[in-house]
Amino acid sequence: MAEVWVYLEAGEGGLAPISRELITKATELAAGLGGSVAGLALGANAATSASQAFNYGVPKVYVIEDPALEHYTNEAYVAAAMELITQYRPTVVLTGTSIQMRDWTPSLAAALDAALAADVTQVTVEGGRLVATRPSHGANVINKLGFNAPLVIISVRRQVSPEAKTTGGSGEMIRGAMPALKQRTKVRSVKAKTNAVNLADAQIIVSGGRGLQSPENYEKLVPELAQAFGGAYGASRAIVDAGWVPYERQVGQTGKTVSPKLYVACGISGAIQHLAGMRNSGTIVAINRDPEAPIFKVATYGLVGDVNELLPALTAAVKAKVGQ
Amino acid sequence: MHALVFIKQVPQQNSVKITPDKHVDASGIEPIISLFDEYALEEALLQTEKVGGQVTVLTIGTEADKEALRKALAMGVDNAILVSDPQFADIGSLAAAKVGAAAARKVGDFDIIFCGKQSTDDETATFGPALARYLDIPVLTYVFKVESVDPNAKMVVLERALEATIETVESTLPAVLTTVKDLNQPRYPSLLKIRKASKATIPIWGAADLGIEAGSLAPKTEYLDRVPPPPRPVGSIVDGTSAQDKAAKLVDKLVDAQVI
Ligand SMILES: Cc1cc2nc3c(=O)[nH]c(=O)nc-3n(C[C@H](O)[C@H](O)[C@H](O)COP(=O)(O)OP(=O)(O)OC[C@H]3O[C@@H](n4cnc5c(N)ncnc54)[C@H](O)[C@@H]3O)c2cc1C
Ligand SMILES: Nc1ncnc2c1ncn2[C@@H]1O[C@H](COP(=O)(O)O)[C@@H](O)[C@H]1O
Repeated sequence: MAEVWVYLEAGEGGLAPISRELITKATELAAGLGGSVAGLALGANAATSASQAFNYGVPKVYVIEDPALEHYTNEAYVAAAMELITQYRPTVVLTGTSIQMRDWTPSLAAALDAALAADVTQVTVEGGRLVATRPSHGANVINKLGFNAPLVIISVRRQVSPEAKTTGGSGEMIRGAMPALKQRTKVRSVKAKTNAVNLADAQIIVSGGRGLQSPENYEKLVPELAQAFGGAYGASRAIVDAGWVPYERQVGQTGKTVSPKLYVACGISGAIQHLAGMRNSGTIVAINRDPEAPIFKVATYGLVGDVNELLPALTAAVKAKVGQ
Repeated sequence: MHALVFIKQVPQQNSVKITPDKHVDASGIEPIISLFDEYALEEALLQTEKVGGQVTVLTIGTEADKEALRKALAMGVDNAILVSDPQFADIGSLAAAKVGAAAARKVGDFDIIFCGKQSTDDETATFGPALARYLDIPVLTYVFKVESVDPNAKMVVLERALEATIETVESTLPAVLTTVKDLNQPRYPSLLKIRKASKATIPIWGAADLGIEAGSLAPKTEYLDRVPPPPRPVGSIVDGTSAQDKAAKLVDKLVDAQVI
């Protein structure tokens, strides 16, 4: 029977949110394809992820638990996955789009001669066939892909499906052995980024652009509004290039692609490269003093006026409402 | 040291059209070297300048993509090769990597390969990892600092930028590295080199030169459809008597729509 596998990523204190979302998606795809869902867990403590997945209704998890998998390395993770995939032959493997996943999936596809759809925003079954949707060309082209291969590997963005709910179920763990491997790469050390920003996971993002006029003004107005919303804050490339804000915060074609529930663009004109990174957001609020600014074309709600007045007013209004 | 760089020519603006037969039409838009590939080129030049050697740039494309190769020559790379064949048209990044691997094997004596982390048109981030796999050499993606390259000891030490962490990794050479933005500062071509590049003869390698058999690149994915992004629902301007009034009305709307 066709199996749809979900790669189970460990997150903070349990399965990563993307894996919980993909369990929902895999369940839906398996139903459409007349198959079943299974998990794939690799790591030094992979059995833990397997047990967690059982609790979210996954009936079966393929596991390789080995010290060689403590740190992600492309070669060890590809070798381990190949071992299980060639033996148990799933028809679909779903993963997330974290940097390590985007490192891993193309290698795996090449190694297994599989079909690959990278960074998709939707995957469904239409007329018994798997169909994936992925944007390209800075979100100016939406590609619908069909597949002609016995194995399809798909990396899926965050927030495509709701997270699976706990079922308290149990399941079957199928263990494989880590294949022998002459490691050519080695992770020497891992250090935390000093200014790490997790925009991809944020539900609400407030971004500022050149309309903020100075780095001091940005620092004064934008983080405070983001905090009132309980969200994260980003920026346009114009002010990243100007050195006001670190690159980590850049939203757009050459920065981060985000699709939060709410995106608030402040003093951002709405250049096509900026839109590429945020036009899939749920609700978009644009705040700009120029009523003709292109950002208003994608905005759900627009406020025309000066950021210096509107941002403090909005911060206060949000606090007043949310504080109730 | 012999460094290879794979670059792709892409439209500067992504305001492309889609033809009725589902091709992307970028006619009329200025072609450029894909942004991240400029960093790949610069890093290849920097590292070979340090230890001595040569840089060869390759692209899998058409006659028109020679322009990107000439730009790379003008930046200072030593050799350029156009890999081109009717069979290679629109094959996608995964199959292009298979062709790239065959071309790298034909070059033969390379120590290190640089690619961009992803192209700015197709954005698949697939070519580099797939190329490494087809060549059976290690891949190191999202490289944002090359600490050292030692072609004699066949070792590279570098930093990879992940979401919240920075990984220091060592690898044997040859290896494929894919580069992120701001890993270096790509140089401007000199006038002298631009002139020289414009006259350079660029060899073309086809499927037969690479021993690629017809049909071996059959795509595993097909475009069922390609469309412009759906228009966003029509929005509205929230008006008011003052900044406070506008802000309060907006918050009410967000609450009503259950956004906050
Ligand atoms: C290859 C390439 C890649 C790119 N990638 C990206 C990317 O990833 N992300 C990105 O953002 N850009 C990117 N860009 C740049 C993009 O084209 C724009 O230049 C950039 O987004 C503009 O930033 P901005 O909106 O902050 O500035 P501007 O375009 O200068 O807009 C400032 C806006 O602020 C408004 N304003 C001014 N003062 C006030 C005030 N007091 N109150 C309210 N509003 C005010 C103005 O009306 C204007 O609309 C890229 C460009 C290229 C060529
Ligand atoms: N047709 C091609 N010719 C040469 N290099 C390519 C080609 N396609 C992709 N690349 C390289 O692979 C990188 C990633 O591209 P992609 O997989 O399309 O996102 C690019 O930045 C280039 O360095």
